[in-house]
Amino acid sequence: MGRDGLSWADAAAWAGRRGGMAPLRVGWRHRELIIAMLRREVADRFSGSAFGWIWAIGAPLLTLAIYTLTFTRAMPLPVASAQGGTAHYALSTFVGLIVFGVFAELSCRASLLLHEHAWFLKTSIFPSETLAWTAVFRALVYSGISLVLLIAFQLALDGSVPLSLLLVPVIIVPFVLFLVGLVWFLAAVGAFTRDLSYLMITFVPLLMLATPVFYRASDLPPGLRLAALINPIGATIELLRSAILGGAIPLVACLGLTIISVAVFRGGYAVFQRYKGIVVDVI
Amino acid sequence: MSSDVAIECVGLGKAFQLYARRVDQIKQMLFGSFHRFYREYWVLRDVDLEIRRGECVGVIGRNGAGKTTLLRLFCGITQPTCGELRVTGRIAPILALGAAFDHEMSGRQNVMISGAVLGLRRAEVLDRMASIAEFAAIGGFIDQPVRLYSSGMRARLAFSICVHADADIMIVDEALAVGDAAFRQKSLAFMQDFRKRGTLILVTHDMDQIMALCDRVIWVDDGGIRGNGSAAEVIARYNRSVESDEDDGARFALATAGFGGDDIRIRRHRRRSR
Repeated sequence: MGRDGLSWADAAAWAGRRGGMAPLRVGWRHRELIIAMLRREVADRFSGSAFGWIWAIGAPLLTLAIYTLTFTRAMPLPVASAQGGTAHYALSTFVGLIVFGVFAELSCRASLLLHEHAWFLKTSIFPSETLAWTAVFRALVYSGISLVLLIAFQLALDGSVPLSLLLVPVIIVPFVLFLVGLVWFLAAVGAFTRDLSYLMITFVPLLMLATPVFYRASDLPPGLRLAALINPIGATIELLRSAILGGAIPLVACLGLTIISVAVFRGGYAVFQRYKGIVVDVI
Repeated sequence: MSSDVAIECVGLGKAFQLYARRVDQIKQMLFGSFHRFYREYWVLRDVDLEIRRGECVGVIGRNGAGKTTLLRLFCGITQPTCGELRVTGRIAPILALGAAFDHEMSGRQNVMISGAVLGLRRAEVLDRMASIAEFAAIGGFIDQPVRLYSSGMRARLAFSICVHADADIMIVDEALAVGDAAFRQKSLAFMQDFRKRGTLILVTHDMDQIMALCDRVIWVDDGGIRGNGSAAEVIARYNRSVESDEDDGARFALATAGFGGDDIRIRRHRRRSR
């Protein structure tokens, strides 16, 4: 065994022994704990503040209103009119904001995740892998509220929602895998250096412009369009737009999202497992 | 390996990585395969042990000897640097008293989380909630945030959760030091009873308690096993050694050797290693 605890060879041997489903199996084994932690965090958010539910609904509404006004009145975008007017553009942007919001929250929080739970990790047999699952599900619970609002608006606007709405859970699954893998990776690296959290704060807004949040991938020239669809966040946004607001499902996004998500999920897990044993000594 | 062995370790060692600068930690992460950017501080070295199922083992030793690190290795909280470690069965540790509680949450919420950490299903924890509250005997405080608890109350709750965890191996680190006489009596009675079912590892400076409970005592000194045998014999040797040694800081200076000028960071590591 290597002098720094675990070597790549050990990690590879370990992964080989457990097989490809190991990261999922670990999550499943600790499902009770993940649910208990999730209950605690969600209850904390909604009972800790006096108007918890009002914030949860009010904040996304306000965001939606401000973005819509900015991009349709204050500085009108030709993209907006091309997409069937203010209301439709607003909903399309809202999908982008919800998905990107989940990514932004997690990527900023992930690097400090292990520091945040240092006491748990150092003084009990707390399985640190589960923290990523809890963090991702927590972010999904909050954005789920926005998603329900979005569907309600779409219903009010058009009087109907496309049947493809049923595909939403299917689209979310690879996105969740991508996020969990990302959180594992950032948490493991972030445990060693707090610089990562500063880096993410700078990097995330830039990524927002590179992701089809305020525009649609179809507005881009062909070369860039492919790049936007391969970006897992962009792919999720485009797929959700098609599923909720109607439109053709971009197959390249489906394929890209699945492949990249599984890769990030497995890769993030491998990195986390490699550093897990040392992390307790450095946080 | 026979199934009678609860914990077995061969050549077990744990070294903490001491970094002179924060940047070295990142360098180690990126280029660790080519060059080592840290110094090693060995907290435990060459530990060979076998603890059989149903045994009650006391662990003694001076502060900083490596007792807690040994227990944390058993629990899997930290990974060994070298050697082999095999643990068979479900472990319930009480390490730093109630420190694994979230201070903003109520006692009851903490029971849910701690129960899940110890591997209990939600339904099982709910079933045992009344019994846990009764054993802890902290009255209405069970519904209050843990930050309002006294250290004794935290210890009571932590111990009570572990009592109800159906563990095969119970590890108790100084847990009863802050409990009052009544609670200590109740806990001792429980541990006497637990010995019939499972393996108990007890760390304490209270030699009477060890004499009362343990068949065997392991004396950890300076990162190694200095004594391993019947309680009476090892404790007698330990007491003689403590009387003859002065309580100087030379033992702790070991880690700081060669690190002049930067000992603030090292002291931090020392604390973390506890």
